[in-house]
Amino acid sequence: MISFRASSFTGNIRLYRVLAAKAYARNIQYRGSHLLHNFASAIFGYLYACIWIGLGRDHSLGEYGMLGMMHYITFTQASLWVSSFTTNGLGIPQSVRTGQIALDLMRPVHLFAHLAAKEAGQVAYQFLYKSIPVYLIMLLALGLTPAENGRTLPIALLALAGAAYVSLCLNYLIGISSLWTTESSWLYWGNQAMMNLLAGFFIPLQWLPLWLQHIAWASPYPFMLYAPTQLYLGKGEAVLLLGTLAWCAVLTLLCLLATRLLRHKVEVQGG
Amino acid sequence: MTEIANNRTSRLRAVRSYIKLYRLLIRTSIRSRMQYRFNFALGSILAALIQLSEFLMVAIVLAKFGSVQGWSVHEVGYLFAVMTFSKTIYRTFGDEVHHLERYLVEGELDQLLTKPLPVLLTLMPRSFRVMFGEVIQGGAIMIWALGAMLGSGQVTWWAIPQTVFAVLTGAVVLFAIGLATATCGFWTTRISMLQNMTEDAAQTAARYPLTLYPNWMGVLLLTAIPVGLVNYLPALYILRGELGIWVFPLLAAAACLVLLFALRFWAFGISRYQSTGS
Amino acid sequence: MNTVKRVQEPAIEAAGLGKSFKTPVVAQGRFAGVRSLFAREYRVKEAVKGIGFTVEKGEFVGYIGPNGAGKSTTIKMLAGILHPSEGQVKLAGIDPHAERARCASGIGVVFGQRSQLWWDLPVKDSYDILARMYGVSDADKDRRLDQFAKLLDLNEFWDTPVRKLSLGQRMRADIAAAMLHDPELLFLDEPTIGLDVNAKRNIRGFLKTLNEEFGKTILLTTHDMDDIEQLCRRVMVIGGGRLTYDGTVEGLRREIGLPTEIKVTYRDGCTVPGERQGTAQSAALGTVGGASLPLRIVARGKHTLTVEVNRQETRTMDVLRELGSWGEIDDVEMREPEFEEVIRRIYG
Repeated sequence: MISFRASSFTGNIRLYRVLAAKAYARNIQYRGSHLLHNFASAIFGYLYACIWIGLGRDHSLGEYGMLGMMHYITFTQASLWVSSFTTNGLGIPQSVRTGQIALDLMRPVHLFAHLAAKEAGQVAYQFLYKSIPVYLIMLLALGLTPAENGRTLPIALLALAGAAYVSLCLNYLIGISSLWTTESSWLYWGNQAMMNLLAGFFIPLQWLPLWLQHIAWASPYPFMLYAPTQLYLGKGEAVLLLGTLAWCAVLTLLCLLATRLLRHKVEVQGG
Repeated sequence: MTEIANNRTSRLRAVRSYIKLYRLLIRTSIRSRMQYRFNFALGSILAALIQLSEFLMVAIVLAKFGSVQGWSVHEVGYLFAVMTFSKTIYRTFGDEVHHLERYLVEGELDQLLTKPLPVLLTLMPRSFRVMFGEVIQGGAIMIWALGAMLGSGQVTWWAIPQTVFAVLTGAVVLFAIGLATATCGFWTTRISMLQNMTEDAAQTAARYPLTLYPNWMGVLLLTAIPVGLVNYLPALYILRGELGIWVFPLLAAAACLVLLFALRFWAFGISRYQSTGS
Repeated sequence: MNTVKRVQEPAIEAAGLGKSFKTPVVAQGRFAGVRSLFAREYRVKEAVKGIGFTVEKGEFVGYIGPNGAGKSTTIKMLAGILHPSEGQVKLAGIDPHAERARCASGIGVVFGQRSQLWWDLPVKDSYDILARMYGVSDADKDRRLDQFAKLLDLNEFWDTPVRKLSLGQRMRADIAAAMLHDPELLFLDEPTIGLDVNAKRNIRGFLKTLNEEFGKTILLTTHDMDDIEQLCRRVMVIGGGRLTYDGTVEGLRREIGLPTEIKVTYRDGCTVPGERQGTAQSAALGTVGGASLPLRIVARGKHTLTVEVNRQETRTMDVLRELGSWGEIDDVEMREPEFEEVIRRIYG
């Protein structure tokens, strides 16, 4: 049913590598000005840490403690660049506006695979040139050493890689919606807002009201920031990775279905 | 003598015709938005939801800890609502100032320079943003917060006109910060990163009482990037009776001052404008 | 003693105009990004240098040159958008940089690549706003728009949002917008770029009307030589930031010295001097050795002969006389060099 053959996928592996490498190289030209982005991003992180430090002066910060919350904010702030700051709609809204989308659909590569490969290069760049610097700046500014002496970093990064893929899928779906509404940028911002609230970006999920926790765990959002952070802090079980994996599979299917709808729409209405 | 009088009447006429121009723009913007009702409704609902989730982030913290630096849930809600209103006014009229980067990168500013009005007055009417979502969210929180404080007798009805005053001067302050930040674009072209710090981060910070932060940051948020003037300073008097009634002339003077500075800086930046390429 | 005061200032007066841009040099190598944050090297590029000309009221001037030669830079300086690094501009006696706002009411500007209309609003709403901006009264606005609508066929997309217009429609709408406040002087930067033949014809017709019937002064840049040939009496050429030609279109053609083609049909064949009898069909093409004038034969048929002459060196009458001496002429056809060809020579 879904026209996504394994053979064409493996045959195109080289193409995907080139797409990813080009996206990476396109960004690396601007790494100078991106260093300033990191500064801005670290300021945000520092601000959030200050809020928790201020709160920690009058209140006990539960199972995390002030130090734990500083680690928490440091990790989520650095992770944002991988699991949240994905290209708006993977660039589909713009391509719809310019009519480029019809061309993209004509190519002998599946649209999703094509855009996902491109975004992978982008995410790889952001991980190296944004997440890592932000993480280091935050550690320095707050006077921290990596949580659990860095032993938990590998598994946390694994969870983060899954989170990046989930975010990529969500943005693909947002991008495709731009064919039906001119307001898809609101969906992008809505997605960002859910990241802030339901992914546990600023407030650990267990502090949310119960009803909101239920909503959160019914969505993929906890696996985008909260799960990797729990693993990083040594509080989470490796079984969390299964949740990430399940969402990756579900969203991939949704993306492929959405592509069929898109193709139909473009073919019927001519973009 | 007559020349001065003539000058004054002609300037008055110019101002009146500019206001007419703006009214026309508002009417046409609303009308054209209404034509796409589904999109408009979707946009407004999503905007309100985004705003609500932003407030939830603050509300959850308060629900968990009861108060922040001795500020109650309602007081912090008030801080949040005043900031939302001021920001909504700023972005309703000054959205294009916030998006100056687009004009600089794509060379659209050239068009504006061919118009018989100051560039800023040509730039602002390029769009008029209808922000119902923000108004609904800000209004709901304001009614909830002020209502509770009126009920408990913490504030009197006087708080309402005082709040309106603070919202208006706050909008001027936010506009001035936005304008000064955008002006930097005449040298750097890209400004989104700077806006991240002077607008987004600063406004986020001012959702909590400034005493929560290290001293230097609190001072910074009242002087260099004076977002504290928008909600924190007026709230000190209106809600908690600290400082004195002199807060209001101070706010008005400060708003005028930052606006004047921003306009000067803008005029200087315009004179350095280098268009794009050939 | 000159007591006659000049009644009319020229529409455009430019003297010694120059503009140089400072662009940062992109650093190369290791840590280039970091280094460029602290120390920046600049390269100064002179886009335009020493441009000077005068355009009188009512003229229609074409401004041509290859990409990157400085056309847009000049237009932007004339319109008060860019401050010149050196030199001076006067539009009807007013300096557009010292008094930008005052000058702006007297000029209209159209950039072919960009629109001054409101993207999301219907076309007519943009006109309402622009009319307010320029202080045009409702009566004037309606009268002018009525006129433009007829000349430019605006009615078919009157209520369409600008973002849904085709390129040709958008350009027509944009030109009408630039004329709404009835400026005396119109700058057009590539107004026909990317348009189809019909749209181009429509726009050219409108510009011609503006110039001939309403006496508007127009300066336009273009890459389309038909624009120049059909509209402009005067043409200015810019190359490498300097003005290389300023004069009539015919003068430009002459200056380049492209040959005119003359095709002669003889009643019963001809004899070209220095050519042996009977080999007419296969006669060699090329310069005629035995002729008294510099001629080049480019084609030869049974009864026809096509020659090229440079009309700057040779008078046409002399050429015809010479050709007449080779046989009895039945018919003569002359073809001026294609303007495209002229331009290719300049740009080359």
